[in-house]
Amino acid sequence: MFGTLLRFRLRRDRTQLIVWALALFFMMYAVVADVQETFPTAADRAATLKVMLVTPAILMFRGTPQGASEGAFTATLGLAFMALLAGMMSTFLVVRHTRAEEERGQAETIAATAAGRLAPSLAVIAEGVLANVMATVVIALGCLAGGLPAAGSWLLAAGCGVTGLSFVGVALVFAQLMPTSRSANGWSAALVVVAYFVRGIGDAAGEVHDASLSLTPAWPSWLSPIGWAQLAFPFAQNRVWPLPIGAAFFVVLVGVALLVQDRRDVGAGVIAERRGRIGASVVLRGPFGLAARLERGTLIGWIVALVALSTLVGDLSGVVVDQLASAGPGVADAINRIGGEQGTVLQAFANLGAVFSGLLAAAICVQGAMRLRQEEAVGLADAALAAAVGRTRWMLSYLIVAAIGAVVALVLGGLVSGSLAGAQAGGFSAWFGGIVWQTPGVLVFLGITALTFAVLPQATMAVGWVVFAAAGFLGMFGPLLGVPEWAQKLSPLVHAPAVALPHPDYTGGWVMAVLAVALCAAAVLLFRRRDTRPVG
Amino acid sequence: MNAIISARGLHKHFGRVHALDGLDLEVAPGEVHGYLGPNGAGKSTTIRILLGLARKTAGEVTVFGRDPWREASELHRRIATIPGDVALWPNLSGGETIDLLVRLRGGDTRSADYKRTRAALIEEFQFDPSKKARSYSKGNRQKVALIAAFAHPAELYVLDEPTSGLDPLMETVFTRQIARVAADGATVLLSSHILSEVERLCTRVSILRAGRVVESGTLTELRHLTRTSFSFDKNGLTDAALAGIPDAHDLAESQGRVSFTVDSDRVASVLTALGALGVTGLQVAPPSLEELFLRHYGDELQPEPQGA
Repeated sequence: MFGTLLRFRLRRDRTQLIVWALALFFMMYAVVADVQETFPTAADRAATLKVMLVTPAILMFRGTPQGASEGAFTATLGLAFMALLAGMMSTFLVVRHTRAEEERGQAETIAATAAGRLAPSLAVIAEGVLANVMATVVIALGCLAGGLPAAGSWLLAAGCGVTGLSFVGVALVFAQLMPTSRSANGWSAALVVVAYFVRGIGDAAGEVHDASLSLTPAWPSWLSPIGWAQLAFPFAQNRVWPLPIGAAFFVVLVGVALLVQDRRDVGAGVIAERRGRIGASVVLRGPFGLAARLERGTLIGWIVALVALSTLVGDLSGVVVDQLASAGPGVADAINRIGGEQGTVLQAFANLGAVFSGLLAAAICVQGAMRLRQEEAVGLADAALAAAVGRTRWMLSYLIVAAIGAVVALVLGGLVSGSLAGAQAGGFSAWFGGIVWQTPGVLVFLGITALTFAVLPQATMAVGWVVFAAAGFLGMFGPLLGVPEWAQKLSPLVHAPAVALPHPDYTGGWVMAVLAVALCAAAVLLFRRRDTRPVG
Repeated sequence: MNAIISARGLHKHFGRVHALDGLDLEVAPGEVHGYLGPNGAGKSTTIRILLGLARKTAGEVTVFGRDPWREASELHRRIATIPGDVALWPNLSGGETIDLLVRLRGGDTRSADYKRTRAALIEEFQFDPSKKARSYSKGNRQKVALIAAFAHPAELYVLDEPTSGLDPLMETVFTRQIARVAADGATVLLSSHILSEVERLCTRVSILRAGRVVESGTLTELRHLTRTSFSFDKNGLTDAALAGIPDAHDLAESQGRVSFTVDSDRVASVLTALGALGVTGLQVAPPSLEELFLRHYGDELQPEPQGA
């Protein structure tokens, strides 16, 4: 039974697993190769590390410096990010086969066969383990392909795999607790991000060893699965013993999940679904009210995330000012590369914060436009369109709700980090303007996803997330790793005027604004001409 | 008299598949029109075109004399519909969904009329409106669509297999509602493959096969086209005597009974002949809709060719 289920699952997930494997391999390889190209000598790397070690805000987003060797430097820049990806992969994989299958009634079909009550969960756990073994192998191959030492490569990759495994456990538990796959996915994915920032706090507050250009992370790192992967210090001390912590964490969570599974009804969550209203409120009146209602939870989540990020960045600006006062000369050049373009270190830091805010807001737009396809696929677009709702009005409702969500998130984020950043850190307007000027680029993501929905509806999810991931990769590593300028320009976010820097160029912003409007308009016109295509 | 729904030579192609292949359909005002066909015959495709969800490839189609694709949302203010697969927003309650669907059709959910009708329907269908839609069973999802369709008056009801998932008790509630809206003068297009339901409710019927309407008319008219079946005890009647029965087709014997069929307009003359033979245990059955249906689809059930 177990074997049959596992084979069946692997077969269903074949394409997704291959895509993940390729993505993880190439991302890892790209980081290694770009490090070699941009920082060819130990002196280059040492200069950059000196800056990072005195700039906790940058450590927060990057990793734990462990010396200037090529491998250790690569781990500092890329390990936390790769581990985050493994965590996301595990989360989506587990929820897809547990809570989502229960929601669709597939779990009930299987439960009615001779398969034992725990067999489906065991098959998912086995698949999760296999997927993370796969992740470990491809990430290690990515390092080895770039010519890094074998021991460190495998240790770095195993750290990512163990992080993934930890989140297999986390997602399993949330799949037991939550009544819907949306909430299970939301909570587990949020915890992956929390794990990233908890280790970030550990790194930012760590103890610096100037002589060895290394850092001993503070205690918060010990609370994060991504932190455990970093604490192995691959390519430096190469210690294996922090990794079993993640494995033990996985085993404990699996035990909890199986205990709950064995005691509850198929289809029910531990946290029961609340009852709803007997009638609709005044808000739920037209397609706009409906879109707002459906997106409410997701939007609030993203807005809170963006405001939290802005609080952090704004708050850290003071620290940056203090620390830079004590930093030596020659540091500015390196940090410019980390933040992008020219200007003071602080301005570069403000710019970095703005790019991150832009990415979060872009996710709001991608997800908001994807809602169109999700509604269409299950036949809910038809339900609205078969009532007296025109196609233009229906589609624009979802696009406008997403756009408003993104703008509100950016404005709130700008207000928060602007108020927190002191006058010496560039003042309110630089920070606020920098974040709010992300809006045009962010809306381009809305346009691209909407246009895909209108032309190739089946590809909406894939195109949306690929475009987002590519922009995320460019935003995260582009300026730092010397990605060619033409390639960096492919990301809509790059064109935002760098308000925090001297002489910002606003042309790019306006071009993006026009492009976003044109894409959305084309999407609406094309959607008006096609049949709706529910699945099945 | 203008038809409420009119389609002529309607084609819909999905790549190489011709879902509709020259379909003609006419639905007159006030009619409860049965739209019959097995899965895959093109019923739902027709309905998607009538609702402006899919675009015709060729041919003519009007609803209330207007183009259902171009004027979709204006037309939908006059139409109530139940889709073949009822999809609901999982995190809205049943009650919210009903109100929402009515409002999207332009209905006023604050009117006393609506509130009364809604409450009565919820009572009749024994429906709990406070649960989230994701927890409803198939039957309960169907009830959401039915209540939303009947709670606000429409001039045309387009119903795609509306009773799937309902228990027999709820089916009678549905029948009552159809009778009520028909009495108010509304037109109904009822797609179904449950023949007894169509036989009970519909004044006219169209039978669909492979994207075309192969038969259309009142039940009486359609019956006329088919044969009435006879059977009686053999009781030692000779084969020669049986062969003398005029116009008998498909003569057969089984378990001591003789059976055959007769064109419906020849029944009187056969009865005279049978009277002369003095048969006992005579049973005469008018053609059921099922036989009508099988006449058009029987060859799919019996692949080997039959002697004509």
